[in-house]
Amino acid sequence: MNEENLSILALILNAGVLVQAVMGILLIASVMSWIMIVQRGIFLNHAQTSFREFEDTFWSGVDLAQFYQELTDKAKESGVSNGIENVFRAGFREFNRLTQSDKTDPDAVMEGADRAMRVALSREDEKLGTNLPFLANVASVSPYIGLFGTVWGIMVTVRGLGMMQQATLAAVAPGISEALIPTAMGLFAAIPAVIAYNRYAAKVEAINASYETFSDEFSSILHRQVYSR
Amino acid sequence: MKVSISYALGITFSLTIHGLIIAAMYGGWKAEPERIVIQPRFIDAKLVELAPKQKVIKQKKNADANAAQRKRDSQRRRAAEKKKADALKNRQRQAEIDRKEKERLAKEREEQREQREQAEKERLAELQRQQKEQEFADAIAEEKSLLSAQQDEREANSYRQLIQQRLSENWNRPPSARRGMETMIRLQLVPTGRVVGVTVLKSSGDSAFDRSVEQAAFKADQFIELQKMSPSLFEKKFRQVDVLFSPQDLRL
Repeated sequence: MNEENLSILALILNAGVLVQAVMGILLIASVMSWIMIVQRGIFLNHAQTSFREFEDTFWSGVDLAQFYQELTDKAKESGVSNGIENVFRAGFREFNRLTQSDKTDPDAVMEGADRAMRVALSREDEKLGTNLPFLANVASVSPYIGLFGTVWGIMVTVRGLGMMQQATLAAVAPGISEALIPTAMGLFAAIPAVIAYNRYAAKVEAINASYETFSDEFSSILHRQVYSR
Repeated sequence: MKVSISYALGITFSLTIHGLIIAAMYGGWKAEPERIVIQPRFIDAKLVELAPKQKVIKQKKNADANAAQRKRDSQRRRAAEKKKADALKNRQRQAEIDRKEKERLAKEREEQREQREQAEKERLAELQRQQKEQEFADAIAEEKSLLSAQQDEREANSYRQLIQQRLSENWNRPPSARRGMETMIRLQLVPTGRVVGVTVLKSSGDSAFDRSVEQAAFKADQFIELQKMSPSLFEKKFRQVDVLFSPQDLRL
């Protein structure tokens, strides 16, 4: 008892089973949320830069049919395609298909192209938002889990105190200290998750808004083409 | 492709961060255990300190006694030798057989004396050892009684606190009570815990306050918890108990 090691790691290892389980859950949550944070950060940054590049090329006066061909080739080559390119390609493909048969009504062409773009947009929205609910979960729940561990730990400590002859500080302090670790861990997991969630949610919103703006603009271009024929 | 790379990056980063934190906890963030865990060890220390001190004194005394005895012995021996030398001078011409006989006798006497001295020494040593043991036992007994006195004191304090608490529960605050007033009362109790007498030892200066404290003691009537106390402790401390009544919670 005299030589008891009071380092935090020793406290964790000597904690009760339930407290240890809580700490394990929180550690896993923290690790997972950091994985999500980094992954989402890279993904959203990439989405933003690629959108900017795409817009630059699009408004530089390039021929739309050629541009569409280039993008399709690139997508075939790499196997994946993301972001605004998908919206553009979906809209343009539908537009081409509908305009190839001369009998189609211009309104129907526009409607079809718009619908195709809307579908692609909602897919992209989904892709941007993956894993964000997990971050939100960690952010809101892990403090409670930590608090539960703390309350349980203190409960056990105080109950043990009742059985002792003399209540000294040295008898309670390690238990309390041990019980407080889960709260610290819960906050440790929650704070980055909250920050990241807020930041990424705002980013997703902004990217989505710019996608929608682009699709509207593109739709107006197509509109002009349909009716100027 | 891109997605899996970003996931790999995320996993590496996350594991690195957590690994670093755990490593930091393992290495650096140690509470200082020496400072926190201080166990009172005065009991041991007292015993250890007592024993060697007395031993040293004992040995010193012993050495003194031995030295004195040796001195006396040597004086005696010197006198005897002188006498013997005188006799030798006088009877030098006497027959050698005679002298030899005498020498033999003297030697025998010397041996006897030595034996006696040896016995005496042993007896002294034995006595000393017994005395030491006795003193050691005394020290232990004293220590024990001290400990039990401390135990008693603790117990008595808890009962005294109980009495004080009960008094303040039964106390009606007179309008003239002010913060800082103190009254020392002496309660006469019987082993059932019943109050049989109250006297004011030290007045607070306000007779209404004193009277109210007295009334509180009579109103408390019986401290039933005192029945659980050991009778010896009751006789020692609680047959008559002095309680200082000083209300803390006066908002005046």
